[in-house]
Amino acid sequence: MSTHDHYHPPGLQHQFEDMKQQEESVSIGMWAFLVQEIMFFGGLFTAYLVFRSRYPMAFAAGSNHLDAFWGGLNTLVLIVSSLTMALTVYYAQKGNRNMQVILIIATMFFGAVFLGVKAIEYSDKFNHGLVPVAGLNHKSKAEEPAAKEEGKTAAGEKHEPNPRGEFQWTGENYEASVKIITEAHEKKYLTKYEEVGYYSNGELDQNKVRDKVRIFYWIYFVMTGLHALHMIVGLGLMTWLLIMAWRGTYSADYYSPVEISGLYWHFVDIVWIFLFPLLYLLGRHFMHGGGH
Amino acid sequence: MAEHHDIEHTEAHKEHIGLPGYFAVFGVLVVGTILTYFVATIDLDSILFPGANTLVALLIAFTKMTCVILFFMHVYWQSKMIWLSAVAGFFWMAIMFAYTMQDYLTRVTGTFNP
Repeated sequence: MSTHDHYHPPGLQHQFEDMKQQEESVSIGMWAFLVQEIMFFGGLFTAYLVFRSRYPMAFAAGSNHLDAFWGGLNTLVLIVSSLTMALTVYYAQKGNRNMQVILIIATMFFGAVFLGVKAIEYSDKFNHGLVPVAGLNHKSKAEEPAAKEEGKTAAGEKHEPNPRGEFQWTGENYEASVKIITEAHEKKYLTKYEEVGYYSNGELDQNKVRDKVRIFYWIYFVMTGLHALHMIVGLGLMTWLLIMAWRGTYSADYYSPVEISGLYWHFVDIVWIFLFPLLYLLGRHFMHGGGH
Repeated sequence: MAEHHDIEHTEAHKEHIGLPGYFAVFGVLVVGTILTYFVATIDLDSILFPGANTLVALLIAFTKMTCVILFFMHVYWQSKMIWLSAVAGFFWMAIMFAYTMQDYLTRVTGTFNP
């Protein structure tokens, strides 16, 4: 069949009847990928659900060390980037090259800001011995007064020496968790797993509490790390999109790559919309204005 | 002629919600985020019932997600097939949650030793 015996939009591939069918096929393909991504993150959300239902107080205590300000700021940053992405699609449909280029650069800028904030947060965890893998934390020798470099952040904050860079749950962090666990214990709010999981012979066991908080930090790092990886992939996509948009590839007749890159970017935003309340805000109402 | 008609149709179709609509959705998302942040500082667990804080946070997150999926991801204007894909993803996730939890929540302490 000749493709030149009738009017033919320039972006139409041979196998499709018309642009509408082509656009729909492209969208369905992308949605199949996104559904797979839902299942992929869904497994991690399931792990979160299982362990949080088991050790809610350890999760609340771990969550209270995360800085809800940075988490909230990053949520807003991602929402702005989602808006600029949606507007990129809008202007691609209009074939407005300059607005596409400006908005893709804006989207990339906010994506980079997100990753920058994430780096600030991760370095805080590294310095406080909260990375759940032994050896991947800041190593401080026993004789070295650790307060020298950390003392500026919070006066009177105690830091145990950490020669091997292990996961630590000590000082202020531990005391805060003791407070909420004891309170929940008195109100008989602890789950049956918590009664066994925090206490040894009726006494609160610091190592046991640490190990339960460590589960929270495992989930925090895997989920936010995987999300950050998706952001990096997204920035790669945006770079490609920027080059293509710069060349004026997209018009009202052909803008599917912009549309499906947008779907991906919004999906990553949605994952963060859930990660923010589920990781950062668990125990804030216990703190009554104190703590982080 | 028929093709031409199709193109005009998609042209009108592509408008979606337009610029004011996009900014309105953006406004809802920002308000939702700020609301999530401040509601978390109120002890709803004591005022209402245990778990109320998490429930409210998740309700806001679901509202935000629905806005993003329907308007930023254009699902509102898409075919039934895409609606089905989107809904199926969350339906299967719900099955995964439900079947996993019906196992874990009904185990006796000690089977999965803390």
